Amino acid sequence: MAAVMAGDQVAFAALVTRHHGPLLGYLYRLVGGDRQLSEDLVQEALLHVLRQRTYQADRPFKPWLYMIATNLARDYFKSAEVRQCWQRGDAEETLLHLYDSAAGPEERALAAEQGNEVRAALAQLREEYRVVVVLRFYQGFSLQEIAETLHIPLGTVKSRLSVGVHCLRSALAPVQKGVD
Amino acid sequence: MPHPQSSWPFERPEQLADLLREQGATPEERADLLPALRRLSEWQAPQPEPADTRRLLARLATELPAPSPVRQAIREHQQRTGIFWLLATARAQVSLFGPAFWLVSALVTLVGAVVVLSKVLPDQELVLRASGPLLAYLGTIVAFRGPGLRVLELELVCLPSPLQLALARLVIVLGYDVGLGLALSLALWASGTGQVLALTLAWLMPLLLVAGLALLLSLRLSVQAAASLAYGSWLAVLAIGTTSNLQTFLLAPALSVLPGCIGLALLVIALLRLQTGMHRLLPHP
Repeated sequence: MAAVMAGDQVAFAALVTRHHGPLLGYLYRLVGGDRQLSEDLVQEALLHVLRQRTYQADRPFKPWLYMIATNLARDYFKSAEVRQCWQRGDAEETLLHLYDSAAGPEERALAAEQGNEVRAALAQLREEYRVVVVLRFYQGFSLQEIAETLHIPLGTVKSRLSVGVHCLRSALAPVQKGVD
Repeated sequence: MPHPQSSWPFERPEQLADLLREQGATPEERADLLPALRRLSEWQAPQPEPADTRRLLARLATELPAPSPVRQAIREHQQRTGIFWLLATARAQVSLFGPAFWLVSALVTLVGAVVVLSKVLPDQELVLRASGPLLAYLGTIVAFRGPGLRVLELELVCLPSPLQLALARLVIVLGYDVGLGLALSLALWASGTGQVLALTLAWLMPLLLVAGLALLLSLRLSVQAAASLAYGSWLAVLAIGTTSNLQTFLLAPALSVLPGCIGLALLVIALLRLQTGMHRLLPHP
């Protein structure tokens, strides 16, 4: 990172190449599967990295990068409440459709294959729980890394994860039973 | 347009159970939660193609901080190795000396040679003893600039150490002065002047003495003051030696090499002390 701040283009290319995919995946899941929006947020996050002056060289880079990305996603949701409501409505509609007894086994299997049920279940989680679940189970962050990323105590990370995972299980359980 | 999908980070099923255990879930909870967590892998995220990353890099490249000319120069310097590194360092150090230094030094030597060859003064060695150290005075002032010029901090962070820089500059200055001394010797020899060696030593040895003394004093005094004090002291010795009975002792031909030996010893001491006393040379707020 120090080399990047000194204008080293090779170091910068290596940094972007290493983090582009994981960061895109994180933001994609955080914003409910909007590819264009997540790509814009990735670009914005990396711009913040280049423009900021707060990075401390003795601290790990990854939690700091994801903190910026998370804050940008939060800002987006704050400034686009209408869209957030639309997304929430869309997710509920998806779930209702899936739980609808009229939906046949083939339709359910296809939806599962496309990940629509999981996407809808995650979209139903409150943002604070969705962030920790995505960081933990999709990005493979340790509890300590999540705490550093979100600037919250370790105990809070565990409690949010516990709530998030239980909510997720509740949201997916009816479908599981249906599929089984 | 379909995109390649990201891989699920957990290769083994028990890894999910380990995560739940780590965050405090009981065995019953784990058994209850694991099926739901396993289903998370159903929702894959798109992975960027190399072309996507290249486009992103191109957009961000304009925001990359531009490296300063100093850092660019250091990076280019780092890429050189071995003899090329030495040549690059020497070239950079030579560039510190402006044309005035080379010309004035040559002019002083030329004037000394002309005065000696024209024999307008009875004591030819005295002219050379006085003019030779003048080159050391000039060289010290040009090569070892004071902290007031605000470049010392830059030199402290550059790749060659301050000691290497000091050595490189000494080699340049003294090498040039010795070269002028050889030219002077040739001129004296070509004109048929006797005692070429004695005259050359009378020119070169005091030069070394003043150079060593000036460098040593510059560790405590400003460069201007150190060079002036060293050259002034030598002129005082010359004046005392020529106007008093001490001439036979101070300027005896048998001792003509002594100032040079003392000068070399002082140079070595100064270089050794330069490393340890560098902090004192830093500009103070």
